[in-house]
Amino acid sequence: MDHILTILVFFPAFAGLLGFVVDKGSARAYGIAVATIELFIALWLWMSFDGSNGGMQFVEMLPLVPDFGISYYLGVDGISLFIVIMAALMTLVGMISMSIEKDVKNMIISLLFLEMTMVGVFVALDAIVFYLFWELSLVPMLYIIGAWGGPRRVYAAVKFFLYTFLGSLIMLVGMLFLAYLYHDVTGTWSFAITDWYALVLPMEYQVWLFIAFFMGFAIKVPMFPFHTWLPYAHGQAPTIGSVILAAVLLKMGTYGFVRFSLPIFPDASVMMITPIAILSLIMVVYTAMVAYAQKDIKQVIAYSSVSHMGIIMLGVFAMNAEGISGSIFLMLSHGIVSGALFMLVGVIYDRLHTKELDNFGGLAAVMPKYATIFGIMLMASVGLPLTIGFVGEFLVLLGFYKVSPMMTIVAGLTIIIGAIYMLSIYKRTFFGPITHDENKKLKDLNSKEIVSLVPLVMIVIWLGIYPKPVLEPIDNSVKALVSFMEKKAQTQEAKDIIVSTNAGEDK
Amino acid sequence: MESLVYVALFAPLVGSLFAALFGMSPKNLITGIATSALLFISWVASVLLLIHVVGNGAVSTTLMDWIGAGDLLIQFGFQVDAVTAVMMVVVTTVSTVVHVYSIGYMDHDKGFNRFFSYLSAFVFSMLVLVMSDNFAGLFIGWEGVGVCSWLLIGFWYHKEDVSTDINPSISPSWAANEAFIMNRIADLGMLIGIFLIYWNTGSLTYDTFFASIPTMDAQLLVAIAVALFIGAMGKSAQFPLHTWLADAMEGPTPVSALIHAATMVTAGVYLVIRANPLYSHEAVEGVSLFIAYLGTFVAMFAATMALVNRDLKRIIAYSTLSQLGYMFAAAGLGAYWVALFHLAAHAFFKALLFLGAGNVMHAMHDELDIFKMGGLSKVMKWTYIYMGLASLALAGIFPLAGFYSKDTILEVAINEDTYLIWFALWVTAGLTAFYSFRQVFLTFSGNERYKELGHRPHEMPNYVLIAMAPLAILAVIFGFVFMDSFQAFTSTVLPAYEMSHATHEIAWVFIILTTLIALSGIFYAYKKYGAGLIRDEKVESSFVYKLLSNQYYIPKFYDSMFTKPYREISDMLWKRVDLKIVDAIVDAIAKFIYFSGDKSRAMQTGNLSHYLNWMAAGVLLVAVIVSLSAVLG
Repeated sequence: MDHILTILVFFPAFAGLLGFVVDKGSARAYGIAVATIELFIALWLWMSFDGSNGGMQFVEMLPLVPDFGISYYLGVDGISLFIVIMAALMTLVGMISMSIEKDVKNMIISLLFLEMTMVGVFVALDAIVFYLFWELSLVPMLYIIGAWGGPRRVYAAVKFFLYTFLGSLIMLVGMLFLAYLYHDVTGTWSFAITDWYALVLPMEYQVWLFIAFFMGFAIKVPMFPFHTWLPYAHGQAPTIGSVILAAVLLKMGTYGFVRFSLPIFPDASVMMITPIAILSLIMVVYTAMVAYAQKDIKQVIAYSSVSHMGIIMLGVFAMNAEGISGSIFLMLSHGIVSGALFMLVGVIYDRLHTKELDNFGGLAAVMPKYATIFGIMLMASVGLPLTIGFVGEFLVLLGFYKVSPMMTIVAGLTIIIGAIYMLSIYKRTFFGPITHDENKKLKDLNSKEIVSLVPLVMIVIWLGIYPKPVLEPIDNSVKALVSFMEKKAQTQEAKDIIVSTNAGEDK
Repeated sequence: MESLVYVALFAPLVGSLFAALFGMSPKNLITGIATSALLFISWVASVLLLIHVVGNGAVSTTLMDWIGAGDLLIQFGFQVDAVTAVMMVVVTTVSTVVHVYSIGYMDHDKGFNRFFSYLSAFVFSMLVLVMSDNFAGLFIGWEGVGVCSWLLIGFWYHKEDVSTDINPSISPSWAANEAFIMNRIADLGMLIGIFLIYWNTGSLTYDTFFASIPTMDAQLLVAIAVALFIGAMGKSAQFPLHTWLADAMEGPTPVSALIHAATMVTAGVYLVIRANPLYSHEAVEGVSLFIAYLGTFVAMFAATMALVNRDLKRIIAYSTLSQLGYMFAAAGLGAYWVALFHLAAHAFFKALLFLGAGNVMHAMHDELDIFKMGGLSKVMKWTYIYMGLASLALAGIFPLAGFYSKDTILEVAINEDTYLIWFALWVTAGLTAFYSFRQVFLTFSGNERYKELGHRPHEMPNYVLIAMAPLAILAVIFGFVFMDSFQAFTSTVLPAYEMSHATHEIAWVFIILTTLIALSGIFYAYKKYGAGLIRDEKVESSFVYKLLSNQYYIPKFYDSMFTKPYREISDMLWKRVDLKIVDAIVDAIAKFIYFSGDKSRAMQTGNLSHYLNWMAAGVLLVAVIVSLSAVLG
């Protein structure tokens, strides 16, 4: 298979185009079929992937605008592989669980286009191709929130779009300037990320470029103080929108830091450890407290996402293999767990048409299956060992401890305050007597919901007990990344920090 | 032998999963029987392992890799040495009894199957905790027992939040959350300890860490010792993280017996015993001494709260807290085997005591107030005998288990010349005897106050009483039958603790002193409550009484110092900061752009002379700027 990545990227979009002629009644089945095939292609990619090789695999290269060094350039490594699989999985699972009746066909087609852009972002190795997919991903999401959202959907959709678009424009300026610098040094134009890796940049350029890319990535993550678009987007988005947004779209930001910022600007990245870590700590603690104050269950999950993304950011900037691998793993685990949690919120919203915690209470008695699955996801979210949530969180905190013990203790508060808001919503939703009569007749999970949630539960437990098949390829690529950064770093200070954060006592 | 390790470890898990299959269906006796049978198998395997370890030394085995990233490699590795074997036998003995007991106790509960699933899952986690050969595995068990404890404290989740004057716990689900969150505070300390160990030894296995202790610098060792002990303080409910344990009594009584008396709460003591190469290192002497003093303080502090409490289960909970203090005192003074011995003895008699309390509750339709009982010995003879025996053992009366274990701790305090510790523990021994027998007398003898409330108590079915018998037997014989062999056996792993010659010489004096104070405690309780309840308004309205019955106002203090402010600050951050500042700035920028665009649209009039005016103004502005910068620059 020479073009497996091309197929993986464009199959959903192609099928989406064909979807316009599919009958309205079977649109949903069609979408699920397409997403299933896509997931199998992604799994096949994993099967053919050489986990012991930390470099880029399945590389495809086709010059598009040779004069400016823009090419259609794709490839995966351990870092992107599993995010792609997770994107395919969450799209499928989200589609299965979807309860939308209005304009289903449009929704399916939007989702398939969205899937193309998501896969595209993670396999692109050319900055322009990356940027195109990055921006294109906004369009279907804008439409999903704007067309199927709640009462303030237009405000939320526009805010989401403009805010993230603004960030990416600044990033685009950075990309163009970087290409220009590349031209300045080598005499040829190139937008290939791998070419940029080889470019040695003076410190002052690194810092400015780092900031430009940072604006694009940080708004996407979203990092404090750029996070306020997210609660609105989640608050107004339909369940499927929130699932994709939390599971995959946010990961584009953190992935961007790993793919661009660390290897291209190693010195600036090392220099920025402290400021970024401070922002991350604010994300972890502050948004977890804000989450606790929420009265709407979906807002709790939304703010908790920001809090967990803070841990992911911290891992990226731990600069050691433990931390970065943990952070990639946490991206996957957060994708699955937060996706599942949003689906679970959707379950109760479909039944009661409210997300206010005060309207729940005592649901464990009438919906035991729902309570059980919610409970498992809750435990994964608070990072219980032997669930998927523990592995990444543990590695990130362990990794960052080497950078700064004090900051790690603050970040470690996540295991306490995360438990506070999660246990609090669980108690208010499921425990106590049933206080609202209409809740006494609630139906437990239906087969559609079970089919979509149970696989996620199985993954949560499987990767909690045996993360190796996923963690090992990630780790191999991360180790390659770390040793590359170490070689490339110019200032002695940056070199020292990279070396010392990676060194255990016994070396 | 590896297969025995796995049988002992996984049999409870199989039972838990099996019971979980029936989790949402109506009561099915098979879940109770199957989980009990599997636990019995686990017990047999544990005993065989113990015998094997006695003869052939430790067994260790590795199941598979767990987490590998960077230079870190964590495996599911298990080792059964003397300490682990003792813990396994204690855990499986008590669990098996509690499982069989629960078949009777939970008979009418509609969550019967679910209960057994949780209970067996707990045993599995506890076994992981004691059997792992590394700190990460320990942490799995550590968190696992935490979750099972959460599930089981909140087992009757449907109960309403009702605020009470004295006890802050308002419902089982509230108590469950409190326990989980408070434990998590301590777990952060534990995690930090784990990180320190990894970054300084490159591994998380006990062996590597213990082997590298001699080469590590003193400050580091102190940091690790403190961090790990913070973890231990949460699980073993040491002050100031103790409030959750009494509130955990909201759970079903078999849970209190197994988790909140015999096993889980001793995990912290186990950790200190397990990490004895660290805690006995001279660099961490200060930390160990602190552990001993804290333990002594908690022993006395908890005993005082038990003196006035009226709640049958809370009295036993405070007593557990107090006995955990004794264990920490012993461990902190370096007498690890004594701590472990008291841990085992305490597990037996305290579980027995709790199960007896369960019988009483069952008979009294969940009434917990001992002021409303009395005279129950007539209808519940066996329960009376069991609870009496357990209380005698707890009070440390010869020749019961508690006499040997507790007395040795007091001897250790003498031997170490820590007279303050000895004195406090000695006084506490008197308090213990008093509150134990206050409870026994108020429950079982005197006037039958329950009759006014219309209760018709009855004894538990015979098989439940028989199931309790092993614990009763152990509570009686454990001390004089097993103490010497226990010491010899555990000395293969733990540092042998020998009393000095001088201590030996005068030990009998202290034994008599201790027995005297215990007997006077019992006697005083008899004098005051033997004939029935005579309430003394003056005492009950005194400051000290109120202070004690309100648990030194600590729960209320926590509520007003931490819980409420946390909620208020969270609320403030959301409403004042996130919405009014962070988000408002974003919207203000957007509004400004919109506004400026909207206003500057007025320039686009299409009128050429207007454009000329604007152009002239612009040129003028540029000219001013240029000339200014020329002048200034």
